Amino acid sequence: MKPLPILTQHRRPFIRSLVGGSMLFPGILKQLMAEDSTKEPHFPAKAKRVIFLFMTGGVSHVDTFDPKPALTKDHGKEIKADHPEIKDRPGYEKIYLKKPQWEFSKHGQCGTEVSTLFPHVATCVDDIALIRSMHTAHSNHYNATLGMHTGSFAQSRPSIGSWLTYGLGSENRNLPGFVVIAPRQTYAGTQVYASDFLPGAYQGTLVVPGSEPISNIAPRVPTEKQRLELDLLAKLNTQHLSDRSDDGNLVTRLRTFETAFGMQMAVPQVFDLSKETDATLESYGLKRGQTTGFAWQCLAARRLIEQGVRFVELIDTGSSGNWDAHGDMMSHEPLAKNVDQPIAALLKDLKQRGLLEDTLVVWTTEFGRTPFNNTADAKGREHHPWAFSSWLAGAGVKPGIVYGATDEHGLRVADNGVDVHDFHATILHLMGFDHERLTFRHSGRDYRLTDVHGKVVRGLLNA
Amino acid sequence: MTTRHPLERLPVSWFRSLLYSLIVTLSFDQVDSSIVFAQDDSDWFESKVRPILVAHCYECHSGTKSKGGLLLDSKQGWIKGGESGTVIVPGDTDKSLLVQAVQYQGLEMPPKGKLDDRDIQTLIEWVRRGAPDPRISASKIGGMDSKTAQNWWAFQPLPTPIESFSSLWIDQQIDAKLDSAGIHPSEPADRRSLIRRLSYDLTGLPPTRDELNQALTEPLSEFQIEKFIESKLESSDYGVHWGRHWLDVVRYADTAGENTDRPVVNAWRYRNWVFDAFGRDMPYDSMIKHQIAGDLIADQEGIIATGYLAIARRFGHDIDKDMYLTYEEMIDTVGKSFLGLTLGCARCHDHKYDPISAEDYYSLYGILASSKYSFPGCEPKGQPKDMVPLLAQPQIDELMKPWQAKADLAKAAKEKQNAQIDQARKSLAQLEPAKRILIAESKVAEGAKVPFDSQLLERTIPVRVGELIQLTILPNGNHGADSTMIELNIHQVGGAEDVWSSGQLIEDFASSNYRKLGPKTTQNDPARNTEALQKSRIEANWFYLETTKNADLLTDKRLSNGGNSNIHSWSLGELPSVFANVSDSPVSVWTVLPPKSLFVHPGPERNVSLVWVSPIEGSIRLSGFVQDAHPAALDGVSFKLEHIIEPESGNGLVQIAEILSTPIEEPGPSPVIPVAYAVVEGTASDAKVHLRGDPEKLGDAVPRRWISVLGGQSLENPNASGRKELADWISKSPLMARVMVNRVWQWHFGQGLVNTPSDFGSRGEPPTHPELLDQLAAQFVESGYSVKQLHRWILSTKTYQRSSQSTEQQREIDPENRWLSHFSRRRLTAEEIRDSILSSSGNLDRSYGQEHPFPPTQTWTFTQHDPFNAVYPSNRRSAMLMVQRQRRHPFLTLFDGADPNASTPVRQTTLVPTQALYYLNDPFFHEQAMAISRQIQTLVHDTEKIDAIYLQTLQRKPNTNEAQAILELVKSYQASPEDAWAAVARMLMASNEFHFVD
Repeated sequence: MKPLPILTQHRRPFIRSLVGGSMLFPGILKQLMAEDSTKEPHFPAKAKRVIFLFMTGGVSHVDTFDPKPALTKDHGKEIKADHPEIKDRPGYEKIYLKKPQWEFSKHGQCGTEVSTLFPHVATCVDDIALIRSMHTAHSNHYNATLGMHTGSFAQSRPSIGSWLTYGLGSENRNLPGFVVIAPRQTYAGTQVYASDFLPGAYQGTLVVPGSEPISNIAPRVPTEKQRLELDLLAKLNTQHLSDRSDDGNLVTRLRTFETAFGMQMAVPQVFDLSKETDATLESYGLKRGQTTGFAWQCLAARRLIEQGVRFVELIDTGSSGNWDAHGDMMSHEPLAKNVDQPIAALLKDLKQRGLLEDTLVVWTTEFGRTPFNNTADAKGREHHPWAFSSWLAGAGVKPGIVYGATDEHGLRVADNGVDVHDFHATILHLMGFDHERLTFRHSGRDYRLTDVHGKVVRGLLNA
Repeated sequence: MTTRHPLERLPVSWFRSLLYSLIVTLSFDQVDSSIVFAQDDSDWFESKVRPILVAHCYECHSGTKSKGGLLLDSKQGWIKGGESGTVIVPGDTDKSLLVQAVQYQGLEMPPKGKLDDRDIQTLIEWVRRGAPDPRISASKIGGMDSKTAQNWWAFQPLPTPIESFSSLWIDQQIDAKLDSAGIHPSEPADRRSLIRRLSYDLTGLPPTRDELNQALTEPLSEFQIEKFIESKLESSDYGVHWGRHWLDVVRYADTAGENTDRPVVNAWRYRNWVFDAFGRDMPYDSMIKHQIAGDLIADQEGIIATGYLAIARRFGHDIDKDMYLTYEEMIDTVGKSFLGLTLGCARCHDHKYDPISAEDYYSLYGILASSKYSFPGCEPKGQPKDMVPLLAQPQIDELMKPWQAKADLAKAAKEKQNAQIDQARKSLAQLEPAKRILIAESKVAEGAKVPFDSQLLERTIPVRVGELIQLTILPNGNHGADSTMIELNIHQVGGAEDVWSSGQLIEDFASSNYRKLGPKTTQNDPARNTEALQKSRIEANWFYLETTKNADLLTDKRLSNGGNSNIHSWSLGELPSVFANVSDSPVSVWTVLPPKSLFVHPGPERNVSLVWVSPIEGSIRLSGFVQDAHPAALDGVSFKLEHIIEPESGNGLVQIAEILSTPIEEPGPSPVIPVAYAVVEGTASDAKVHLRGDPEKLGDAVPRRWISVLGGQSLENPNASGRKELADWISKSPLMARVMVNRVWQWHFGQGLVNTPSDFGSRGEPPTHPELLDQLAAQFVESGYSVKQLHRWILSTKTYQRSSQSTEQQREIDPENRWLSHFSRRRLTAEEIRDSILSSSGNLDRSYGQEHPFPPTQTWTFTQHDPFNAVYPSNRRSAMLMVQRQRRHPFLTLFDGADPNASTPVRQTTLVPTQALYYLNDPFFHEQAMAISRQIQTLVHDTEKIDAIYLQTLQRKPNTNEAQAILELVKSYQASPEDAWAAVARMLMASNEFHFVD
C-alpha cells in the first residue's frame, strides 16, 4: 500500500519551513515531524483491518443462509413459542410455521448451502465461515442495532470500530481510522458509530455516498487560494507558538490543518473510481461515474483499507425501507440484489489483491426473522432475536465452514450458540486483542466492548 | 425479553457468593468457627431476619452509625456487642439482650415503637436457632471496609472556617506545596492575557475592545482587576456560561432519548432557570433543594427546577417498561452531580469499591419511583402528557373562567341549534313517498350532456308555495366523484312569466349556501325590466344539499379549489360539493371549466341536490341540462328531477337555513396555561430490590431512607415520596460542599483539586491540597453557599493570575501541572468557539432563547424507523442550541460538546482534522467571515482594515510581521476585496490564538 503521493507533496515543505530556524523544543519538533504511529495489539494477529457489512432491518436467516427443509414440510403447522414479538399481541394468539420462499443449494468445494437470494455470495462460500447460530438479546431494531455495534442494548457505549481504532491507532493520518459509509442513518442514529467516552478521535467518520461524502470536505475556495490561506495561518500560528513552544496541543492543532488540507484531496481521490478498470467496475456491477449504491460502497471500502483505514463499516440502507419484511418477504429480493454481487466482488477483489490475507470481512444484521407468522399464508415475517445467520471471511478465519446450527425449523439455536458478545470477542481476537483487556477507565470503572460477557469462538479461527 | 443493564452482569457477584458458599469455609478469630449453618438457615435469615434488621435497626446500628456502640449490620457487630454488653447469646433467648429489648423488657428497642409481634417472634426464633448470620463481610458497607468508610476523607465533617481566610491564604497553601516539591512558580500573567482569561472564564466570551483598552492603558491594580471581575459577575453572560457548566453535569438535553428521540418542548424552562439561578447567585444548597424537590418548597420556580430530574433520559420503545433504567439514570446523576459518588454502580449488587449497598440504591429508587414525571410520549403511547402547570389553580381558574363562560355559551347555542335543525330535518325526512313525484331521471354517460327538454319536459307542473323542485346528481357505483355541470331553469307558466335560473347563483356564489333570488330578467324584453315590475317579482329560495339520507345543507365554503381562486365551492367537509367558475374566462384545472359555470360534484355513494322552493301558486315548466364535465373513461353519473308536493318541505328548509344563519359567537382559542416538564408527588411506596439488577426478579422491599454511610436517616413523612427529605440530606452533606467547590475550582483551572470531580469515592483520586479543599468548602458553607464568592476568592489569587508560560523545570517535575506552578493553557469549548465567531462578526444574539421551533406536538408521528431529527439554525449563544440525544448536534459533537446522555464532569479536548475542515469549508463559518469583511470595506487604507479585522477577531492590533503577512495574502489572493478580506478573517478566527486561552 502506497500513501497517495499528493499528501507527502503538500506537507513536507510546510513542515520544513516551520522547522527551519525555529526556536521550537526538540520534543515539539519530533511531534511535528513524526508520522502517526500505530499501536501494537495484545498479540500478533493476521487481521490488520476490518470491513463490517451491516444489513439493516433484520435479514431472514431461513430464507438466505440457513436451509430448513422441515420448515417447508411442516408449513402451516401450528406451533407454540414464548416469543417476545407475539407476547400479548392481539391476533397472534396462534402461530403457524411459514415455509421459506427461496430454494437452497450446495456451493463450492465445501458444499455450504445458500439460497437463491445470494447467488454471487454463494460462489464465495469456500472463503466464508458461516455462523448459523447467532442470537441476540433484544427484539427491537433500535436496541438490537445498538447492541450489535456497541455491545450495549440500551445505553450509549463506544462502537466496535471505535474500540478497534482506539486499540490499533491509525495507519494514515490523512484519513480517519474509522469510516462508516451509509446512505442514510440507521436505527439509534449516530450512536452506532460514536466513540462515546473514548476520545473523539476514534469516532466513526460518516461518509454519505454522493456529491459530498464527508461534511465540509469539498473546498470552498480554489486550492491555490486555500494554500495561501493556510500559509498565512501557519505563519500566524508559528509566531503564536514561538513563545509557547512547550505546548504540544498547539502543534497538534496546527498540524490538523495540513491534514485537513490533504484530506480534501485524499478523500476525493479515495472515492475517485475513474482509475479502476472496466473489469473491476463490472465485477462490482458499477456503472462508470456512479457514486451511490452498495456496489460503490464496497469498492470505496476496498480503496479505503488500501489507504490504511482500520475499520470500514458499510450500512446498506437506513431505518426504513430495509430488510424489515413484516409485510412481504418479497422485499428481500431487491435488497439482496442490491448487496449480493458487490459483496462477492469485494471478496474476490480483496483475495486477488492479496488483501484478504490481512483483512477481516464481517457480514451481519441485527436479528433474524421468525420462521412463523400468525397465519400460514402471511406474506411477511416478524423480528426474531432467537436465531440468525452472520458470516466472517478473510484474515485468521477458518474458511469454508458452517459453525453452529438452529433447530429443524430455525426457531432456536440448537448447537454452538454465538451471542453478540461472543461475536465481538471473536472479532477482537482476530485483530489481536484479548477482549477482556481492551479496556478504558471511565466514570470509576474499566469498560470494555464485551462488558462482562463474551467468549472467543475458537471454532471460527484458522489454526 | 428484558433489556439488562450491563452493570448487572459484572463478574463480581461476591456478595451473593459470600452469602451462600463462603460461610462454610471461612473462620474468624472472634467467631466460633464450629458453628456452620446450613444453607437453609442463610436463606431464612436473608428472607426473614435481615429485612427486619434493615428496616428497624440499621438506622442507628449500621455503617458509620453505631448508637450505644452497637452495630447490627454484621455478625462481628453483634458478637462484639455494645455499651450495654453482649447482645446475643446464640441459642439462649433468656441471656440475649436483643430479645429483651425488642419485647420492651428493660431496654426498649426500637425506640420509635415496638415491633409487631410477628417480627418479635422472628427475632426470638433467630436467636433460638443459634443466630445464623451469613453476613460475614459485614464489617463492610457496600464495597468498603466500614472503618475505612467511617474515616473516608470525603465524608468527614468540614473544618471550622478560619477567620484569616482570604485569597492570600489560598496562595499560601498552593505555594507551600510548590515549595516542598521544589518548583518555582511562573510570573504573573500579562494584563492582556489576564483580562482575556477572566472574560472567557466568567462569561465564555472574549473581552470587549474597550475593556482591553482600559486594562492596557491604565495600570492594572488589584482594585481594577476586582472591578473587572465584578462587572463580569454582574453580566447576564455569566449566568449563561456558568449555567452551561452545570448543564454538562446534569446531562441536559432537549429530547427524551427513547427510541424516537421525541422533543421535550418545555425543557428550555429548566435550562433558562439554571442560567438565571447562577446569574443571581442563588445559594447552592437552595439550588439543590429546588432541583430535587422544588415543587414541594416553592411555586413556579420550584416546579421548573425539578426539570433536573425530569429530563432524565427515557429508554426503549415503550418507556414505561424501561423506567428502571431512567431511575438508574437519575440515581447515577444525583450521586455524581451533587455527591461525587457513583451510586448507580449499586444497582445489581453492592458497590464494588465504595460504601454503598444495593439496599442504599433501592432506598433511593423508592423515593424517585414515588414521584410522577412528565411523560415525553413514545412510539406506542403517543403524545406527551402530564406536564406540570406553572400557575396555581385559582390563577388558572381566573384565566380560564371568562373563556370557559364563552365556550359554554357557544356550546349551549350550538346544542340548541342542532336540536332545532334535527327537528326540521326530521320533518323533511319523514316525507311520504307519495309526495315525491319523479319528473325525469337519466343516466349521463361519461362525458355526455343530457338536456331536460328531451325528457318530456314540455309538460306543465302545478306548484304551491313551499313545494320543491329538486335536481339530484347521483354518483354511479362507487366512482361518481365527477364534476357535473348543471343548469336548472324554472319558467312560470302564465302570471308574470318569470324565470328563475340556477345560472343566477353564480353571481355572488360564495355569499351564502342558500340564496333568495328574484327571477331572471329577460334581456331582450326591456318592457319586462321596468323598476315597478322588478319590485313586484317574487323571490325564490335555492338550496345546495347533500341528500343521501337526509337533506343537509352544504356548510363549508372554499374560495379556492384546485389551486385556482376563481373556483368557489360549498361542501360538507371534503365531499360532496357544489362549485362554480365565477370568472368570465374558462379555467383549466382538473378539467376545463367554462366561464360562469355551475357544477355539482357528488361524492362516492353520496348524492348532491340543487333545490328550488316555489314562491308561487301556479304552474311552471322546466328546462336545463346535466353534463359530465370531466370525461375520464369511467361510468358517468345519473340524475333525478323530482317535484316534492309537500309545502312544509320548503318551509322546513327555510327554517334550517335561518337557524344556521344565526351566528354563534365562538369562544376563540383557549388561554395558554404555561407548563413545565417537571416532577410532582406520585404514589408513595418502597421499592423492592431487583435481584442482580433484573427488574423481573424482585427481592425484599427496602424502606426509603438516606444512604447508610451518610447517616441512613429514614423519612419524616413516609406518605410522601421522600424527595423533600432527600433534598435536605444532600444539601446538608459535607460531601456536597466539597464536590461543588472542587467543580468551581476545576472550571477555573481546568483540573480540580480532586481530579475526578464526579468521583470522591475510593476509585477517585484524593485531593492534591486536602486542607485547601476542606477550608474552601467550609468557607463556601459560611458564605451562604455563594458561588460568586468562590469566584472572587479564587480569581483574586496569585495562583490564578499566573502566566501560562511554563519552565522546563516545572514541566519536568510536574508535567500535569497538579501543583499549579503556572496557568494551564486551554482550548475554548465548543460553545465558546461558536460564540466567539458570532461575536467577531457582530451577529451574536445574547438574549435567552425559549421554545425551539419544534413541529407542533399534534403532528408528531415519530417512530424508530423515522425518529425526530433536526438542527435549528440560530445566532443565539450556543448554550441555547437545541441539544438532541440520539443524533448529536454536528457542531457541538465536532468540538467535544457535553454528552447529553450522561453527566459530563470534564470536557475532553480533541484536536482532529475534521475540525480543521470546518474552518476551511463550513458555510456558516464562511458567512460570519464574510460579514466581518463587509464591515471593514468602508475603511480606505489596508492598514486600517488590518487593524480593524484584528481588533474584531483577536481584540488587539497586529504587529508588523502579522500585518505584513496579511498584506501579502491580500495582494496575492487575486479575488474581490470582499473575498480576500473574508479569507483573512477566516484565518484569524481559525488561528491558535483565537482558540486558546493563555
